[in-house]
Formats: sequence, structure tokens, C-alpha cells
Amino acid sequence: MQVPEIVDDALDPADKAWAAVPSEKVPLVPVPIEEQPNEYIRTAWRTRPYGQTGEVDVAAVQRGERLLVRLEWDDSDEPNTEFLDGAGVFFPDAGDSGAPLTIGSHSAPVRLWAWRDRTPMQEALPAARELVASGPGAFRPAGLDAGDGENEGARPDAVSALSGGRWAVVIAGDLAPAAAAGRMGVVVWDGSNDERAGIGAVSPNWVPLTVK
Amino acid sequence: MSQDIAGAAVAGQVAMVFDLNKCMGCQTCSIACKVLWTREEGEEHQWWMTVNTQPGQGTPKDWEDMGGGRKDGSPVTGHQPTRAEFGGGWEFNYDEVFYGGKGRSVHLKPTDKGDGTTRWGMNWDEDQGAGEYPNAYYFYLPRLCNHCTHPVCASACPTGAMYKRPQDGAVLRDEDLCQGSRFCMEACPYKKIYFNEARNVAQHCIMCFPRLEEGVAPACARQCPGRLTFVGMLSDPEGPIHKLVNEWEVALPLHPEYGTTPNVFYVPPLAPYRLNEDMSIDYETPRIPPEYLESLFGPKVHSALATMQGELDRVRAGGTSEILDTLIVYNWLDLFGPFTTDPGTLDRTPDKVAVSLTAKRTEPAGG
Repeated sequence: MQVPEIVDDALDPADKAWAAVPSEKVPLVPVPIEEQPNEYIRTAWRTRPYGQTGEVDVAAVQRGERLLVRLEWDDSDEPNTEFLDGAGVFFPDAGDSGAPLTIGSHSAPVRLWAWRDRTPMQEALPAARELVASGPGAFRPAGLDAGDGENEGARPDAVSALSGGRWAVVIAGDLAPAAAAGRMGVVVWDGSNDERAGIGAVSPNWVPLTVK
Repeated sequence: MSQDIAGAAVAGQVAMVFDLNKCMGCQTCSIACKVLWTREEGEEHQWWMTVNTQPGQGTPKDWEDMGGGRKDGSPVTGHQPTRAEFGGGWEFNYDEVFYGGKGRSVHLKPTDKGDGTTRWGMNWDEDQGAGEYPNAYYFYLPRLCNHCTHPVCASACPTGAMYKRPQDGAVLRDEDLCQGSRFCMEACPYKKIYFNEARNVAQHCIMCFPRLEEGVAPACARQCPGRLTFVGMLSDPEGPIHKLVNEWEVALPLHPEYGTTPNVFYVPPLAPYRLNEDMSIDYETPRIPPEYLESLFGPKVHSALATMQGELDRVRAGGTSEILDTLIVYNWLDLFGPFTTDPGTLDRTPDKVAVSLTAKRTEPAGG
């Protein structure tokens, strides 16, 4: 996927700049049940369908030191009062050759920019967070190991819009690690189906990123 | 050191015993906890400590039908209780009554926000009970996190946020690690974990661990006016908890069949005698059906009740009973094991409080 440069910010998914950026349909599959992190989750979801978001339109641009990724997908389900929709993009460390299916592993964690829709009570929470993912749902806030909480400077941002049964979300974060990775995984959580953590739809293959 | 299913080794286990024969349902424990821990936004519906009337539907409503726990060592899937099932966070029309000039025409009443509020609550069916006059019966059941030896909440947590603290076995959560996935709420069979929507984290009783660290008993225990709440280390052979649970076997876990090995125990209630139709005393038939008590505390409840009745009979005949003397609690501080420090004597400067409030997990969360 080519990542063209833009001049003006395009964090809003309705920004006209996106009309000129080619998008790519990325197929998604359920995160494998056998890879879920514990017996409880495997038992609870083994016979329950999840990860049914079949594909997502993906486009990406770079603006200065930021990478902006636009995701768009169908979601016409009635909202769930307990769990909200979400999506994320993630990047392996350079040199890692694992598949994106498990959203990282203990030996090869990935950097996940995770967006979640928010309730009115959650307006003070960040729209997106950077997490270190070492498996389905095994997420840790980035920067936590340094003992200083989340790395404010690296915090991704996101703007979302739900219209006509389709979500459009732009997630933005630091370009450098994404460019170094050269590829990206995508994950979508359908809140109306109680999807969260490792229960979701993920891209089975890396999406190559060509950054200038 | 013992190893639990969730992978935590603990050096000792803090535990509690509630003597249900003395609980009068005053909710002082509930209020003590609420005032201390759950007063922020997102915590309106949270009552880490509750006292329910039994028989009853409890809180969250019909929690005993919500699944969770373990059977034959394997996790049982469960329902995540909703804010409505907890009863929501009640709000009242204070402004209208006190400041709106309608103090003589409008009564104070809860505001129904359409989310279940005013249709259930933490003590909704209080004093309802069961049975028919003159043999109606009920008793009170204080409930909090059981700080289980095999905490299925921790086993179900994908991030390792929920964990069993090595030094005392308290089940805590590292809120920096919690991502709000709420599998813990599904997995907990006692349904004593709440979701803080404002912060997107799960929350539950923390056994007042900052108080324990300074030798102070948990607020619910220290504030209890009925002298019925024991706190201490389960393995302390000289402590009342070890004696009541392991030696005399009169204190039992709630729903032992849930498979998580709770560390909160209850001395089951001996109700007053039943009355016959002519109002004479029926000495033979228990007022509270034994099968009901067995459904709560397991089959050992019968021997526990028999032991208690035997002790009562001996004392009534002029004898003595170490068990009853222990449960009477002549000395208030005897309730608190090693946690007898008066919190009023402690340095409560803000920095110290901030440090003591951390529940950060210090050992690796993997596994």
C-alpha cells in the first residue's frame, strides 16, 4: 500500500483529502479461538460466532512525522449497551516475521493503536491508545514498563464517524515505527457482538506499507 | 507457599468470618465501604460490600443464576451483570425539593433514568424473607469479594490485571493493566466485580489493602457495630478465623460448589424455634429449612449447625463454650487478628495515602 504525503491534517475521516487517496480492501478473519489467552475465553467463545466483519477499506497517508490510517467498514448492527465498537492497526518490530493473526506474541509483541467508540461518560478518555500486544487480548499500555504510565508523546489520536451503517475511523500515530515495520495489521471489534480483547476480526496477512 | 490455579503463590491468606447469628442488616459495613472507596463518577452503582436478606434475589438481581466459577476444575461461562441488574446508581430530586421552592408539594424520590435505576438496588428485597406467619424467617448475608484461593476472575483476565497478591492472598487489580474487557465479571460466580464506565476498568473489593498494610482492619469490619466480622490470617493457629473455619468447622464458605475456594466464611444462622398452630414451641423442626441453608453453604452446614446447637445447649445447662465465647467477642479488638491499629493514630499525609493506594502488580503478569 502506497502511503502518499499530504500537507494539511486529515484526521477527520470525512476530510476531502481522503478522496484522492487509494484504498485497499483488506479481508478479515476471526482471531483463532485456540490462540485466545485463557481457558475461560476459549470456553465462552468456542461455539459463539465472532470476528464476522469480513473486510475493511484501508487507506494511509503521512503528514510530517505522523502516519494517518483510515479504516472504513460495514456495521449495521444495533448498538450494544455494554460493549462498544472498536478498531486498531498494529505494527511488528522490524525483523519480526510472524503472522498478524494473533496480534503479536510474547516473543514478538506488536505496537497496537487501538480506537474505541466512547459513551458520553467516557468523553475524558483518550480516543485511541497505544498498546503493546503480545497475543490476542494480551494488551499493555505502551510506556508502562518505564514506570511513567502511557507515553504521552507517542499517544495516537483518532476521529470516528458512523453513518449509513458504516464506520469511518482515522487513527494517527508516530510514523517512524510504522515506517520501520513496513507493514501493518488491522483488527476490528464488533461491540454489538460483545467483541473485545482478542475476540474480534483480524487481517490474516500483513498489509505492506510503502512510506517515502 | 501454595500455588493456585491462577498461577499465584501466596505466603499467607487473609480471610474473614461473618457470624450470621449477629448480623442485624444495618448496612453500616456497606456504608463504610461506599464512603471510603466508591464515591467517584462511574462508581455510583458500586457497592463492594452489600448486605442482602436471605432468602432473596440479592444483588445483582438473581446473581446466583448468572453462572461463572469452576466445575471439575474447568471454568463455567457466566453472565456479565449489567448496571441495571446492580440497580444503577440512584439519584434523588434534591434540587427540586430543597432548592426548587417545592418543598411542600414534592416529595424526595429517586429519579428513574431508564437504566434500571429505581427498579432494583443493593438491598431491594430487604426484610422480605420467606415462610408464613408465625413462622416467617429471614437472615442477613453480608457479601463482598471472596478473595478466592482459586480466583477465576484472575484466570479469565487476558491482560493479567487481576491478580492474587503474593504476601496475603488478597485479589487485587492493576488498573494500569485493565483494559475493561470484563471477562472477570463474567467469570466471577459471586458477581462482586463492577464496571467503571467512566474509567473503563473493572473494580471490586480490595480487602482495604492499604489499611492492612498499616495494621488496620478493613473498614467494613472495623465499623460493624454487631461485633460479627472477624479478619485475620487463615493459617494463624491462634487466631479465631483458623479455629472457626478449620478447627471447629462452624464457619463455612458461601456456595463452595462454585469451585473457587472462597476465603470469606459464614457462621450459619440458628433461627428461633418454630411455633405450632396453638402457638406452642416446636422444638423439633428448624425454622429455616436446612435444605435452604445447604443450598447456600453446602452439606457441611448440618454439622456446623449441630455443633453450634450443642454449644448452646451446654451453656444453657451451665457449662462453658470456647466457641460461643469466641463468637460473643468480649474484647472488640479480638475481631481483627493482626490488624488492630487505630487508623486515627496514623500519619495520613496525602503523599503517603497516594503511595499506599497503588495496587500495581509487581511480579510478571504472564501465564
